[in-house]
Amino acid sequence: MSEPAIVVQELYKSVGTSFCLGPLSLSIPKGVICALIGPNGAGKTTLMNLLMGTGPADAGCVRVFGHDVATATVEVKRLAALVSPEISYRAWGTVGRAIDFVSGFYPDWDRKRCEDLSGQMGLRRSERVDDLSFGGRVKLSLLLALARNARLLLLDEPSVGLDPLARHQLYTEIFTFIRDEERTVLISSHQLAELERCADHVVVVNEGQVVASGPTPDLLSRYTELDVMLGRGELPEHAGLHLLVRNGQRARVLWDRADSRASVPTNNGALQIIGERTLTLEELLVALVKSKSAVRWRPRMGVA
Amino acid sequence: MATRISLALGPVSAAVPGPLYQQIVDAVKREVGAGRLAPGSALPSFRVLAEELLVSVITVKRAYEELEREGIIYRRQGLGTFVAEAGHDRTRAGLRASAEEAITQAIRAGREAGMSDRELLQTFKDALKPAPSGALSHRRIG
Repeated sequence: MSEPAIVVQELYKSVGTSFCLGPLSLSIPKGVICALIGPNGAGKTTLMNLLMGTGPADAGCVRVFGHDVATATVEVKRLAALVSPEISYRAWGTVGRAIDFVSGFYPDWDRKRCEDLSGQMGLRRSERVDDLSFGGRVKLSLLLALARNARLLLLDEPSVGLDPLARHQLYTEIFTFIRDEERTVLISSHQLAELERCADHVVVVNEGQVVASGPTPDLLSRYTELDVMLGRGELPEHAGLHLLVRNGQRARVLWDRADSRASVPTNNGALQIIGERTLTLEELLVALVKSKSAVRWRPRMGVA
Repeated sequence: MATRISLALGPVSAAVPGPLYQQIVDAVKREVGAGRLAPGSALPSFRVLAEELLVSVITVKRAYEELEREGIIYRRQGLGTFVAEAGHDRTRAGLRASAEEAITQAIRAGREAGMSDRELLQTFKDALKPAPSGALSHRRIG
């Protein structure tokens, strides 16, 4: 297989006194839309910033298309583009002046594409940045990323304030972008229904750690929620079983089928299975975070 | 660049039961079974169909793999994906198998409800009576 778009090895970064990210390792292939999900404060934005090379890591290494983010800073900033409603262009006054300023940094700026995109997005040069809606700020940030030949788009909560039509337009742009298999998109968001539909790959983070990662359908088929009766009062000790909710003898359990051939360990009647169901991405995230003390992420057997 | 092939499918939506990849499999089968996609017709690439449906590339890929396994479509390296010669018959055979399965389930449900074989047979006979011609001719379109 070709070299991944992003490789993170043993990355570590402490932020302030209360939060530290890592040690964190992950790999994201080329040509995919990857979802970065997790509760607030899990470290998604910190990770995004480290991928972009904004600020140094305390330890470990990030490679973007083979380039070390710590040393190849110019190359990485040429290849990657960060899209976020938090990036402020108000200092330039109008949309047109913001475009003119940013375009100067990029030798591969595509003036024609910029005009086409701003037409499609309904962004006018004369518009004041201060008057843009939340959605307008996302569009401006996206426009500035797409009008140059970036190969990696990092989108930090891009759709939270968008109306359904603008969200549709955003995803259409993202799908057009990855028509080229050399390109990759990483989206950090809480809009899990749309990510379940559109993302090829998912990385789940919690408390600065990766708790699950892999192709979306594999991840969704790996975990099952079991509705069980506990025969001897306690959930049997097993690496694949994590208690979610308990009500007397009845319990809901997350079953991690790390090995696809595994069957549920019922331990001679200690566990009686009443029901079993697959989870949506949103339910899986909640289950993984709730059972965090027990879940130790292990890559599936036979998969790198 | 090659001409872009488009594929008109029914809705692929979270509001429809079943996983998205299964919905794509069923939608392609429906087109092939109804003859709207003839043997030998080209299908769009993973990425083009993903873009049209706004569904992940991996979902489309899995759907195509499933259709290939069932012999309804085939892939030629560098050329694209096409409807198999036997695709129409296989789809029909598959549709027939699921119709038989549905009938078996209906019989089971009827027995659970305490219906006799005679009552079941009468229910089937009633259901088989031709619908009013207006409704039928309306259905045939498409």
